[in-house]
Amino acid sequence: MTQQEADVLVAHELRKTFKKVEAVRGISITVSPGERVGLLGPNGAGKTTTLLMLLGAILPDTGSVTIVGHRLPRHRSRAMESVGFAAGYLPLPDRLKVREALGVFAGWYGVRNEKQAVSEALERFEITHLADRLCNALSSGQRTLVGIVKATLHNPRLLVLDEPTASLDPDVALRVRTGLLQFCASTGAALLITSHDMREVEMLTERVIFLANGQVVANDTPAAIAATFGYDDLEGVFMQLADEARRA
Amino acid sequence: MSWHRIRVVVRRHAYVLWRAPHRWFDIGFWPLMDIILWGSLGTYVARNTTSATSGTPYLIAGIMMFHILFQSQIAVGTGFLEETWSRNLLNVLTTPVTEFEYLAGTAAFGLFKVLFALATLSITAFGFFRFELSSIGWSILPIALILTIVGWSAGIANIGIVLRFGQGAEILIWGSNFILMAFSGVFNPVDALPGALQPIARILPSTHAFNALRAVLDGNPLPGNEIALGVIGAFVMLLAGFAFTAWMLHVFRRRGFVTRFS
Repeated sequence: MTQQEADVLVAHELRKTFKKVEAVRGISITVSPGERVGLLGPNGAGKTTTLLMLLGAILPDTGSVTIVGHRLPRHRSRAMESVGFAAGYLPLPDRLKVREALGVFAGWYGVRNEKQAVSEALERFEITHLADRLCNALSSGQRTLVGIVKATLHNPRLLVLDEPTASLDPDVALRVRTGLLQFCASTGAALLITSHDMREVEMLTERVIFLANGQVVANDTPAAIAATFGYDDLEGVFMQLADEARRA
Repeated sequence: MSWHRIRVVVRRHAYVLWRAPHRWFDIGFWPLMDIILWGSLGTYVARNTTSATSGTPYLIAGIMMFHILFQSQIAVGTGFLEETWSRNLLNVLTTPVTEFEYLAGTAAFGLFKVLFALATLSITAFGFFRFELSSIGWSILPIALILTIVGWSAGIANIGIVLRFGQGAEILIWGSNFILMAFSGVFNPVDALPGALQPIARILPSTHAFNALRAVLDGNPLPGNEIALGVIGAFVMLLAGFAFTAWMLHVFRRRGFVTRFS
């Protein structure tokens, strides 16, 4: 087995230009099985574009993405069987109850026993009481929670989360972080997460990739990156990079 | 291709129909209104003409068969739009569901809508105007096949346009039906159209389906040449629809248009 086949995610030299704006300039990312990685950077750094390229929703101009040995875009469907995705800004299907919506996604992910998978996933994040609520009647925080449940239904090998706790109360956000850590530990899933909450990143991730102006500017453990930039934690690093990006 | 995922697409749209009463208008109320409108118009014209042949069956049969095309088209079109209205498109695009499976699921669900609408139309047409759909006989099957495939093709092409130009283009989902209605000779032979428009009408497979329908209503056998032209044309249109939307989806992914819908 080659290293590329062993890693759950291998993105090589991704580049993306929208009209004349270079959003992503040669980003390479590798995530190993069970590894928890943070993708950080100030607004406009290219995080979301990168994530969407990793998920096959946007095609890179150049570069390649391979998930669990399946190259995108040709083998997107096979690759997505191993990926769970949730974003704080993404709603769920209108007019479906939470249980129904999760059942639909479980079916699309190829889960055999949909009802059991949905019940277990709701219990994991302690939101069984939302099962019979309509998705469009949920608060933004509840919707985010259900979105995370959706992403974990099929025990993916790679969990991709874009700002998952942005709209959550601190206590709910803590519950989500704890649930995610338990999920990754029990299933061996790898995690790739973007967040603006540096404490969350320090709690959840073992490695951090910092982006600025569409490029990787740091790739190491949170503590090592903070030390390299001369700070005690990631907050200072983030502030410095955001300031540099604004002036660039 | 996964049949299971296709079935789940059908289930996803069944939930929406169940919970959205206004969607029943498409398959219940509008068919009812169409039969009343065209049946009454036919009856009025028949009373004021000296012709021995009443136009009423042509109008009623025409609108009934047009609903097959209409329901097939909007089931596919609004099936996709449902994902854009609820900003669910990115969720769908990041699952293993393939484009073909999603379209197949919406098309299959469209068949249910066609059957429901046909039931409404048949009952209303018989109740108000004593028109029996069974008078068309088994000929209805090849005609319905052509119209269903044309409806799917138009719906699929419309999705491509919405992917490329955004939600502002969704007006086409409904508008394209009126274009097809005008050019397909739903109620009239193609030679009743202005001369300059007749070539456009003749290349539409749906035109051949309606030509065949009128021949059957006139008491003639099902014209094989019209059906053959219609079937071949419908499959060509379906392939063209797929190819166009696949191209638009490529453009959609290349230009990052997904952010418009999320």
